[in-house]
Amino acid sequence: MTRRGLSAAALLAPATLLVVATLVAPLVLLFRYSLNRFVPGEFMVEAVTAANYIKFFTDPYYLAVLGTTLWVSLLVTVICLVAGFPAALFLARTRTRFKSLLILAVVLPLFVGNAVRAAGWMVAFGQKGVINAILGGLGLITTPIEIMYTTTAVIIGIVAVNLPFVVLTLQSVLEGIDPAPEEAALSLGARPFATWWLVTLPQAVPGVLAAGVLCFILAMNAYATPVLLGGPSFQMMAPVVANEILQQSNWPFGGALSFVLMAVTLTLTAAANLIVARRYRV
Amino acid sequence: MSTVTLEAVSKHYGDAVAVARVDLDVAQGELVVLLGPSGCGKTTTLRMIAGFIEATSGTIRIGARDVTNDPPYRRNVGLVFQNYALFPHLTVFENVAFGLRRRKVAEADIARRVASALEMVQLGALAQRLPRQMSGGQQQRVALARALVIEPDVLLLDEPLSNLDAKLRQDVRVEIRRLQQSLGLTTIMVTHDQEEAMTMGDRLVVMSGGLVQQTGSPRALYQRPANRFVAGFVGRSNFLDGRATGSGFVTKSGWQLRADHDLGAAGTLMLRPEAIQVGTGGPNEASGTVEDVTYLGAATELSVRLDGGDFLFVHETVDAGRSRGDRIALTVPPAALVGLSD
Ligand SMILES: Nc1ncnc2c1ncn2[C@@H]1O[C@H](COP(=O)(O)OP(=O)(O)OP(=O)(O)O)[C@@H](O)[C@H]1O
Ligand SMILES: [Mg+2]
Repeated sequence: MTRRGLSAAALLAPATLLVVATLVAPLVLLFRYSLNRFVPGEFMVEAVTAANYIKFFTDPYYLAVLGTTLWVSLLVTVICLVAGFPAALFLARTRTRFKSLLILAVVLPLFVGNAVRAAGWMVAFGQKGVINAILGGLGLITTPIEIMYTTTAVIIGIVAVNLPFVVLTLQSVLEGIDPAPEEAALSLGARPFATWWLVTLPQAVPGVLAAGVLCFILAMNAYATPVLLGGPSFQMMAPVVANEILQQSNWPFGGALSFVLMAVTLTLTAAANLIVARRYRV
Repeated sequence: MSTVTLEAVSKHYGDAVAVARVDLDVAQGELVVLLGPSGCGKTTTLRMIAGFIEATSGTIRIGARDVTNDPPYRRNVGLVFQNYALFPHLTVFENVAFGLRRRKVAEADIARRVASALEMVQLGALAQRLPRQMSGGQQQRVALARALVIEPDVLLLDEPLSNLDAKLRQDVRVEIRRLQQSLGLTTIMVTHDQEEAMTMGDRLVVMSGGLVQQTGSPRALYQRPANRFVAGFVGRSNFLDGRATGSGFVTKSGWQLRADHDLGAAGTLMLRPEAIQVGTGGPNEASGTVEDVTYLGAATELSVRLDGGDFLFVHETVDAGRSRGDRIALTVPPAALVGLSD
């Protein structure tokens, strides 16, 4: 018994050390910073004050940034789940020989970094960009439509980044769901949509939750896409954090922003888990 | 309730033929069993009737209705799967109610019909359980209730017993047969277990390589198999190569047997092990040596090498305590000879 306990500890030790060194320690440090005072010119003054948090929650500008981050992330998550589910279901159920190629096609975009991809979208979205050129060429529009530096551009960009993660997560869960109950439903008179809604989806809830949480966290923390596609006037949390720390050298406030972002993300994730667990008894 | 008709139904996967021109008439209230070895096309045939696989050619009718191109949800068939296929997230009650809800049956009627369907399979007390809280046998009975409650035109069963242990298999088998007969349900069942097929089916369809080898009652198949495949698949048999003579059969090793009926142009003689008698006293006598003895319970199987060189399995119902090397005399009644052309 003690032997087994010891060997388990030995096996867990490297991972535990790694997590402590790379995740817990910086977080503790950052949290400590967030309680310090920022004096311009003096960098950071040792203190224990809630001033940085109070600043965040009393300044409508920062609340609006959090609000934008939240609704963009929620919208991106919904779009990714709705668009990703059919693709994941197809991948999970297909009997084609080219299945591994199809999965590779889903993974492929991940080989290209976020910033590079966002740069690509800039080419597509611009006033003289590909999309406007095509729409104009087809005679559908006369004046170029404004996509670049809009919320739409940011949402499209983050959806494109997150979709592969969502599809792969859903696919791996759907893979484990027996298709026979769906056939039973069809034979009992359920049409395909009713079968999906009443039989497939309820069984896929844990997968939808996992994919949704993953997508939401990625969106809440998106950096390159909002910076490149949203332009200077569009603000989400991660770029604002980076700005405080890199441009303003305001570590205390940057730390506070980070913790607000993390706390909000964690709270919503936990809430989603609880609601779904209660509703579907998973 | 209805009849089922297949007319030259085929299923091809590219060049591979899974089912080749199957013709079948299932009468109202009849239980037909599709029987055959793995990969012979039983499941494919059943799934074409259910509507999950599109037939490459041919026509499928349920009653007078041509359902060849209908999707499964318009065919009104009850389906029971090998692995039960219950809805894991729904209670037993909701599983059974599923088909009725799709048919927009009134809530009060649903409660009544589900309750009576569960009574029918003796599971009335477990209505609020989830499938994972039940044994395999109970789950299969729920699946049966779920398929029956919608009053299907046809009941289709794909190896419904193969996940159950031997004792339970016997119980559920009796239960399926009892319900099927009392409700007068037109039923098609798939199995590769010949004993199951013989005991349950009004009629058996023996398939091999996508082709129907023979269709007939269990008795007809057992006593007059159309070919060596059917004879070998349905029950235990001895095959002796040789040729038919005017009055009987002569084996390659020269054993002459007399028959009381015409064996046609048979090239193979089939003898059922239990039709061969131990002892002397008939026209077709032979003597030999016991090479092996296997105790089967109800009978003892003797492997006998005849002095002429032929080899026979013989089932002796009295336990005579024979052992290897014993000398033995056998008699084949003239009525027991079955001639096969291939
Ligand atoms: N999707 C498919 N693509 C290609 N060939 C298939 C496909 N489905 C089935 N087959 C082939 O069709 C033949 C019949 O299959 P089927 O499932 O009907 O066999 P079965 O009689 O039910 O066998 P078992 O007793 O093993 O269930 C098999 O040779 C199988 O390999
Ligand atoms: Mg099968």
